[in-house]
Amino acid sequence: MRHTRDALASPNRTARSAVVTGRLLGIAFLVCFLTGVYSHLLQEPLGWMRFPTRPVQLYQFTQGLHITAGIAIIPLLLAKLNVVMPALVQTPPVRSVLHLLERASIAVFVASALVQVVTGLLNTYQWYPWPFPFKQVHNALAYVLIGSLLIHIGTKLQIITRYWRKRDSFDAQGRFVADATVGSELPDPNDPAGQEARPGSASSSGGFVGRLHRWIDGTPSPGPIAPATDTVPVTRTGASADGRRQRVARRGFIAGVTAATAGVVALTVGQSSAVGEPFNVFGPRKRHLGQNGLPVNRTARAAGVLATATAADWALTVAGPSVSRTFSRAELTALGQTEERLPIACVEGWSQMATWKGVRMRDLLAAVQVDPDVHVRVTSLERHGGYRIMEMGPEYTADPTTLIALELNGEKLDLEHGFPARIIAPGRPGVLQTKWIERIEVIA
Amino acid sequence: MSAVVVDNRVRTARIVLVVLGVLVLAFGAWVLVTTVRPNRIGGLATWLLGAVVLHDAILSPFVLAVGMGLRRAGRSLRTWVLVVVQAAVVLGSVLALVVLPEIAAKAHGTKNDTVLPFDYTTRLLVVEGVLVAVVVIALVVGAVTARRRSDQPVVAGTTSL
Repeated sequence: MRHTRDALASPNRTARSAVVTGRLLGIAFLVCFLTGVYSHLLQEPLGWMRFPTRPVQLYQFTQGLHITAGIAIIPLLLAKLNVVMPALVQTPPVRSVLHLLERASIAVFVASALVQVVTGLLNTYQWYPWPFPFKQVHNALAYVLIGSLLIHIGTKLQIITRYWRKRDSFDAQGRFVADATVGSELPDPNDPAGQEARPGSASSSGGFVGRLHRWIDGTPSPGPIAPATDTVPVTRTGASADGRRQRVARRGFIAGVTAATAGVVALTVGQSSAVGEPFNVFGPRKRHLGQNGLPVNRTARAAGVLATATAADWALTVAGPSVSRTFSRAELTALGQTEERLPIACVEGWSQMATWKGVRMRDLLAAVQVDPDVHVRVTSLERHGGYRIMEMGPEYTADPTTLIALELNGEKLDLEHGFPARIIAPGRPGVLQTKWIERIEVIA
Repeated sequence: MSAVVVDNRVRTARIVLVVLGVLVLAFGAWVLVTTVRPNRIGGLATWLLGAVVLHDAILSPFVLAVGMGLRRAGRSLRTWVLVVVQAAVVLGSVLALVVLPEIAAKAHGTKNDTVLPFDYTTRLLVVEGVLVAVVVIALVVGAVTARRRSDQPVVAGTTSL
C-alpha cells in the first residue's frame, strides 16, 4: 500500500489540485442537482406549485444545462478521482471510527457520482442496461450525492480553506507548500519518493518505487532535494528547477482536463444549442432531422395509436363543469388559429425551436364556458405509458401561447408528432407536451 | 503526522455542513426506498459497488500507467509538445469513453430513426485520427525545432496525469 502511494506522488496529486478540480466538479454537480430538481418538480409538482412560463425557452435552457454539465462532469470527475488516488491507498486504511465514517461517506459519494453520470449518459442514448428504474433512482441518488458532497466539503473544509487561493498554495519557486496541520491525505510532491519524514524511508527509495521514479524522471538519486554537501546557490537552482517542473506538470494537467471538458462538450452540445449545431459530431440527436423537421421521441406505432389517431371520426372532447363539447379537426380550426414559436425540449437534453399553429387553450376553454385559470387533465389516445394522462396548472392554461397544435413548421402536424392534435405549452418538458390528445377535462 | 489544527469558524461550518449533508443523504435514501421496489434496490447496490470497483481496480491503474508513460516520454520532449500530446491523449480517451457506449446503444437498437442518427463508429475513428495526426505533427515539429536549436539544452519536461 505504502509503495503504491509513494508511486502516486505527483505535483498534480496535492491538496491544491484536489481543491481546484473539486471546486469545478462541485459547481457542475450543483448545477445538475438544481436543474434536475426543477425538471422533476415540473413533472411531479406539489399541489400548490406554479411555474414560470417566460422566457418560453426556460426549460430548454435548464435541461440543456443539466445534460451539458453532466457531460462536463465526466472528465472532471475522472480528473478529481485521479488527483485523490493516493488517499484511496493510504496507510493505515482506517485511523478511527470517525475516519471510517468519513471514508464511508466518500465511498457513497464516489459510487453515486459514477452511477449518476453513467446512467444519465446512457439515458440520453435511450439505452437502459440496468435492473432498476432510471427516473426514480436518478432522482433519489441526486439527494444521496449532494448530501454526501456536503459531508465531504464539511470534513475537508480545513484543507479547502487552506488551499483555496493560489498564492497560499505555492512558494516563490512555484513548489507546492505542504501543510501537515490541515490533515491532507495526499503525499508531498517535493519528496520524490514520498519520503514524508518517516524513518527507514531511504530503503524504500531503493526498492521498486525508487527504481520506478528513476525510470520515469531519470533522477540519478532519489534522495533529498538539497543534500548537505550542496552549496547554497546549487540548492537555489534545485528549488527553482523543481518549481518549474511542478508548474509545467500542473499546466499540462490543466491543459489535458480543459481540452477533454471543452472537447466533449463542444462535440455534443449541438443537440440542444444553436451555437453548437455545426459541431454536433457525437450528439445523440440532430436538430431538424425528422418529420416536420423535428426529431421524434415516441412514435405513433410505439404508442399504439396508428388506427385511433387516423380514424375519420376522431374528435376532441372538452369537458367543463357544466358544458361538455366535442370538436373535429375542422371544428377546432374554425375556432381560430394562432401561430406561436415554442421549443420542444426533451428531458434527455435535446431541444429545438419550432413554429406551431393551433387553437389557444384559453379559447377552447371559453368555448365550454370555462374561465382560463383552471387545472385541466389531458388524456392521450396512447394505450399505455407514464405520460398518457397529463395535468396542467392555470399558469399554462391561461397562457396565450399554450396551444392545441394542429400544424407544425408550416405543415399539417405529422402522425409522429401527435396528429390529429397535440399540446404545446411554454417552459415544459417534452413528455408533458402530450401528443394524440382525445380529451381535455377541467378538474379545478 | 502532525496534529490537525482546526479553526473555530471552520469547526462551526463543518458541523453545519455535515449535519445538513446527513439530512439530505437520509432524504435521498427515503426517496429511494419509497419510490423503488425492494427487489430493484439489490440491482442498484450491485451497480453502485460495481462502479467503484471498475473505476478503482481497472480504470485508475490504466490511467496511472498511461500517465507514467507520458511522464517518462516527456523527459525528452519540449514542454509545449508534451502539453499538446497530453491534451490529445486525455481528450481522445474521454471521447472514447463517451462515444463507445453510444455505438453500443445504437447497435442495441433505437426506437426510431431520429434517435442516434449518426454513424458514430466512423465519426469516432475520424476524430481519433485527427488527434493522432495532431500528436504526430507536434512530435515532428518539436523534434525539428529542437534540432535547429540543438545548442540550447532541451528542457527536461516532466508532467504527469
